[in-house]
Formats: sequence, structure tokens, C-alpha cells
Amino acid sequence: MPFPPSVAASIARRLLSSEQYDRAKRLSYVDAGHGFDAFGLHPAFVAMGIGITAFLYERYFRVVSHGAENIPAEGPVILAANHSGTIPIDGMMLWADVVRNATPPRVPRPVADHFVPMLPFLGSLFARGGMVGGSRGNVRQLLQAGNLLMIFPEGVPGVGKLFKERYQLQFWRVGHAELAIRYRTPVVPVAIIGAEEQMPQLGKIERLSVFGIPYLPITPTPLPLPVRYHIHYGTPIPLQRQYRLEDADDPDAVAEAAGRVKAAVKELIEQGLAQREGVFR
Amino acid sequence: MSSVMVTGACTPIGERLVRSLVADAQVSHVLAVGLEPPESALPFSHPSRLTYLQTDLGKPRQIRRLLFGRARDLYVETVFHTALYSSARGSGRRVRALNVESTRELLRLSQRHPTIHRFIYRSHGEVYQIQADLPVQIDEAHPLNLAPGAPQWVRDRVEADLTVCTQMGISRLGIVVLRCAECLAAGTGSQLYDYLESPVCFRPLGYNPMLNVLTISDTVRAMEHAFKANVQGVFNIAGKDTLPLSSAILKWGRMGIPLPGQWLTPIYRLRRRIADHEFSYGMNRRRFTYSGILDDTRARRILHFKPEHGVDWPAPISQAWGPGWKG
Repeated sequence: MPFPPSVAASIARRLLSSEQYDRAKRLSYVDAGHGFDAFGLHPAFVAMGIGITAFLYERYFRVVSHGAENIPAEGPVILAANHSGTIPIDGMMLWADVVRNATPPRVPRPVADHFVPMLPFLGSLFARGGMVGGSRGNVRQLLQAGNLLMIFPEGVPGVGKLFKERYQLQFWRVGHAELAIRYRTPVVPVAIIGAEEQMPQLGKIERLSVFGIPYLPITPTPLPLPVRYHIHYGTPIPLQRQYRLEDADDPDAVAEAAGRVKAAVKELIEQGLAQREGVFR
Repeated sequence: MSSVMVTGACTPIGERLVRSLVADAQVSHVLAVGLEPPESALPFSHPSRLTYLQTDLGKPRQIRRLLFGRARDLYVETVFHTALYSSARGSGRRVRALNVESTRELLRLSQRHPTIHRFIYRSHGEVYQIQADLPVQIDEAHPLNLAPGAPQWVRDRVEADLTVCTQMGISRLGIVVLRCAECLAAGTGSQLYDYLESPVCFRPLGYNPMLNVLTISDTVRAMEHAFKANVQGVFNIAGKDTLPLSSAILKWGRMGIPLPGQWLTPIYRLRRRIADHEFSYGMNRRRFTYSGILDDTRARRILHFKPEHGVDWPAPISQAWGPGWKG
């Protein structure tokens, strides 16, 4: 970022209540020497991130959090969520929701597609807030250090799903299950309700690609609609207890474990859809 | 008690290593090897524990004379190979002869040497590839930069590193390769140091990667740890300072100006030609765009090495920035 952490801290102090600011100061992370961790995270930028997402979180999408107590208080954990919305604001809202509601405060580390670190400005800004590129090495190192990872197994195809496919989970990648088994990590299924209707996607132009973004979406609305987000956290799935370490190298076991996570997310989505009173309520 | 040989003894790192080994009670004698004439080689002497020998390692005959002459007479058991053509402006056969062929020859002759049984090679973090889809924290299994278009400065380092690594396990020598982070100090061939020498530092607009830099003290300490640990292998040696490029510029007391990345190659090419500088943006483009930090977990675990000395930044910025996050 073009400005130093003290400026980020100053912005955070202006945007956050003293309670929120104090909470942000209690975030734990590994300081690599100058206030930053090795991946570029700095807690002042996390606090600033809470402040600058506050309008979207509190006013625009009016996010309602359900079951944040299911997020383990410590140790490595993977949050596996559905992904959608044409623009991946769901990732930002999930990040904000975890930072605001996890007890004790934890910094979620969103695992993004490879093109995200290549994005000018956004790549650095997101890295300051905790994002990492989705390479195996990054994920391994973060889990071994006891971090909380946010993974969207649907990946970019989830964000690009058409409106008629909303709440239908796309091809469910299995990497998160393998990592959970290998690094003895529980997986918390997460359902994000609302995002799938925020920006109905009617089609996409696949030949237009800038900075690795794979396509240009065709959508009737230039901005996301003010749908209400409901974020549901399910009970942690103890894959580390259900599978042996050797199962991480067994494709069938990994696929089965990923299937369990997918089924849990699907069930949470169905519950969330049944509970909500309307797209905007 | 054993005798050791240090190549590149007239470089800042080599000199500090020699000084430290001379003071080490476990070392009986240090054979320091450098290109400089003896009268201007080292600013210190210790007749009973230190011998300096002027040798051009780019010439195989001189290497043979060195190893089977004074090194054998002094019962040298360990070779510290730190000699390297540090300037990024040099290229061609003579440079390659020092960077690669001397390493190959030293290693080859050491294998049939009657007294040498350890070979400690100072390699460089620059051998690793940095790109957006690779891990930020670089462990020893990280892909190497084998790009055919890489400059000789990089290709030589990769080739010399691989030359040593390929002998590991099949040679009778105990081989240690230390892939050190960039040593931010004058005379070490540091591209970043030369970059920071300008009062104004241009950096790529929209990117602010994380860097890690090492000090001469910690480089020397890492080599001493490798000497004392009875192990062989490849180890990343990271420094104590991990910070974004923009912070490094500020802490060095410079003004950082972001410019579109495409402009930086011609700007720094011009600076190189006009002001006779070393820094080449083309050579550093990837690490000035994407983060790449050496993961030194293995060195911490096996060599028990942990960086202790941070860079002496000329302009600590915490005060200038106000109370900051913790305040």
C-alpha cells in the first residue's frame, strides 16, 4: 500500500468504535519483524479493513451472523463456504464477519485464486488484510502456524455461476479436504445466503481477460443489489479425527471427505434459505 | 581443532568470516584466499593462525596449486566457498569462470583431497523463482529460476548452486549449501543496496511486495553454524528484517515514487549507463512485484541458526510516522 501502517491505524481509529478498535488490537498474528507477517498482513490494515467494509457490512448488506461460536478459538481451521455473486463480495463479508464475531478475535486468511496477487493495488491491500495466493505452499505454512483459512472450494466458477444456478454448488474441489486431513485440521462448513442474488449474472464474455481475471460478466445491474446477507457457520467437521494421516494421499478418501464438507454446506444453505424471509430481509 | 580455507576473503563477508574464524578456539588455522595482493588484502593479521594467499580462482591451475599446496600443508579440513563475481554488470567467460567453473573445480579437487572433508558453499536466495502463483515463503524445495532469458548474474548462481547440490550424498565430502537472503550492505553485490543508494527510488505502481534482507553478521553466523553442525544439506538463511519494499525505501531514508512498471526498466537502464550503477530493474522485476521470503525453518531446526542482527536502518520511521499501531 502507498501509505504506512500508522495511517491505516489512524483511519481505523476514525472509522471504528473504541470497542471495535480494542478488539482489533487483540488480533493475534506472527510479527516477522517490522509489524508485518511474512505474507504481508498488518493488523492496522485489518482494523482499517473492518472500518472500510463497515458500510457494506452494516448498512448495505445488513449482514446477519449465525453460529459464529462454531469457529474454534485457536489452532488451525478451514472455513469452507459457497462462493457466488459475480463480484466476490461474499469473501469480503465473510472476512469481516469472522473478524467481528470470532471469539477470541482471529484474523481469517482468505485463500484467493492465483490471479488476485497479480492485481495492482488490490493484491497488496488484500495481502495486508490477510489474503494469500492459493498455492499449496502458502496454505501449508499457514495451517502449520495455526491460522484460520477461508477457502471457497467452488473457486472462480462459483463466482461466475449464472443466476439460474444460484445456490447450486458448482464443481467442488477437494484440496481443502486433503489439506485438512494432512495438517490435522477441522473444517467449518459455511453457507453464505444472499450473495447469490446480489448481481444476477446472465452470461459472460470469456475472451476478455485483464490481470488474469478469466471473463467479463454480463449482468443487468452495474452495482450489487442491497440484498441481506446471512452467514451460517456449521458445526466443525473433525476430518482430522475421521481420517488417518495416510488418507491424505488416498484420492478416494479425500474425495469422500470433500463430499462430506459439500453436503454440510448444502444442508446449511437449505436451512438458511428456509429461514430467511426474503432476499432483502 | 581444524584448519579451514575461506575463498572470497577480501569481500566484506569473507573478511568478517575470516576474522571470526581466527578468533574461534575450534579453528587452528585459517587459509584466506582472495584476488587482492597480500599487502592490501586484509586489515588484520595473525601470523600463527592466519595465512593469506592471493589466488585467481578463475584459473584451474591456481586452484590445483592452492589445494594441493598450502591447503594440504595446513591440513585444511573445511572449505568455505564464498567467492563470487559480485557485479551484475559483468558477463562473459571470465565471470562465469569465477562463478561456476571455480566452484566445480574446487569441489572436484576437494573430493580427492587428502585432508578436506567438508565443503560449505554460500549460495543465494536469488536462485529461486518468484511468481504470483508460487508460495510467498520459499522453502528449499521451491522451483529454481531456470528461465532461459535470465541474466548471467542469475544463471551463474543457479548453475553453481546446482553444481554443488548434485554432489550431495554421492560425494565423500560433507556438503552444506546455504542459500542466503540478500545481504543489504555495500560491497556484497546487493542489488537492493544499490537501488537504495538513489535519493529517489522508483517502484512499481500498485505493487508492494514483502522482502527479507540479511546482515553480514548473520551471514557469517550462519556459516559458522553450518561449520559446527555435523550435517549436510541445503538450508535457506533468512534475515531478521521482513518488510514491504515501500517500508525499506522509507527506512533507508529515501523517497519512494510509484511509477508504472513498464517505465522502470528504461529508467534504471539509463541510470545504470549514466551513473555507473549496478541495479537492474529487469533483473528484479518479479521480486519488486510479488513477495518472496526465504523460509528458514530447516536452518533453525537443524543448524540451530536464528537471525539475531537486524539491518541498521539509517532512518527508523516509527517516530516519523506518529504513534502507529501499538501507540
